[in-house]
Amino acid sequence: MKRGRTPKPAQGRAERTLVPACPTGRPGRLQRHLSGEFDQLRDFPIFESNFVQVTRLGEVANKVTMGVAASSPALELPDLLLLAGPAKENGHLQLFGLFPLQFVQLFVHDESRWQLKVKFRTGRAFYLQLRAPRETLDREFGQWVRLLYRLRFPSAQGSVPFTQEYPAQDWEEQDDDEDLTPEEEEELRTMEARLNPQASELWGL
Amino acid sequence: MTYAYLFKYIIIGDTGVGKSCLLLQFTDKRFQPVHDLTIGVEFGARMVNIDGKQIKLQIWDTAGQESFRSITRSYYRGAAGALLVYDITRRETFNHLTSWLEDARQHSSSNMVIMLIGNKSDLESRRDVKREEGEAFAREHGLIFMETSAKTACNVEEAFINTAKEIYRKIQQGLFDVHNEANGIKIGPQQCISSSVGPSTSQRNSGDVESNSGCC
Ligand SMILES: Nc1nc2c(ncn2[C@@H]2O[C@H](COP(=O)(O)OP(=O)(O)O)[C@@H](O)[C@H]2O)c(=O)[nH]1
Ligand SMILES: [Mg+2]
Repeated sequence: MKRGRTPKPAQGRAERTLVPACPTGRPGRLQRHLSGEFDQLRDFPIFESNFVQVTRLGEVANKVTMGVAASSPALELPDLLLLAGPAKENGHLQLFGLFPLQFVQLFVHDESRWQLKVKFRTGRAFYLQLRAPRETLDREFGQWVRLLYRLRFPSAQGSVPFTQEYPAQDWEEQDDDEDLTPEEEEELRTMEARLNPQASELWGL
Repeated sequence: MTYAYLFKYIIIGDTGVGKSCLLLQFTDKRFQPVHDLTIGVEFGARMVNIDGKQIKLQIWDTAGQESFRSITRSYYRGAAGALLVYDITRRETFNHLTSWLEDARQHSSSNMVIMLIGNKSDLESRRDVKREEGEAFAREHGLIFMETSAKTACNVEEAFINTAKEIYRKIQQGLFDVHNEANGIKIGPQQCISSSVGPSTSQRNSGDVESNSGCC
């Protein structure tokens, strides 16, 4: 159960389209897993990276592979977030969840440590630190930052040069309340489910 | 870990009926009273043995809220089994079954096996839907039926496994085309289909769990 030590090196290009993370033509681990067992997800373009889940303070918890996928080739932006990690019994990569991106927000948590914050609209949030070879780390992190920028401001696409130079502070975590409409809030609250998870409990990783 | 078949399941029903708890009980054998609200789909997987064959269940646990309903619909496609869950202590979750069922039938393969589950059977004192009502609904709509408790684990194993048995039976009867991925069945890696199944090879295993094994 070797973890991929070589997460696809991201090409530092300034293209407008979202480039699947396999410039070498070699699909990522998540993509390969999906082609094996998830027929419906097999043909989705996926952008994926390996991360470790960290606590808010940066302690390392467990390995996570995160990807974004577009459920239709007609979409300009990905609409799904995929989370996977090693299965408990054998360490093989296993898909844990698939979430519509409209219910997820991505933030830069700590740029100097290549950390993102992933926040669900139910309130659940966790932190991921990118794992990649030192020489491609910044580049790959830059791709995620561009991605989260685009997801947040889809219409601004044309007006921003997607180079490495991004104004990071603009995409840093903001306060947590642009979240649910009152109706959504209501709906989510009606039920017994409570919304106060510990990050490490996430999918029992 | 090799398997003869992979069956895709989907768990559906109103929010709060215990879908995620049922999955966790089945895959991890534990009950987590406070479970995060599901958004989108969360996955679970477990191997089961049916008739001496290793079968991998790939389970899609879906969000029940109305606002996710349109998303859930696209996930029915390619499911071999569905667990349709209501909460025996909340009648409205039982009342909504028809609409869940319509959705399921409309968006899935016609062979999909549906198991109706009345969950939270441990809360007998708060029961709001009689077992007979569940049975009647199931009979009327051609579903299998069980009452379960994700909390005590009662019948949870049986619910998942009996569904798999029914799918397996349909495969043996030739009702499922296992080569058509839209049916939610995949042949495992390195399995030779002609030797692994056939209507005549059925040698019913008497050690199988029988339904209603009686703890509820
Ligand atoms: N007593 C009892 N409570 C249960 C059972 N199954 C689930 N619950 C509770 O019902 C609530 C909702 O469960 P959950 O699995 O999140 O429901 P879902 O929205 O259908 O996924 C949680 O508070 C669980 O603790 C059960 O079998 N017995
Ligand atoms: Mg749930």
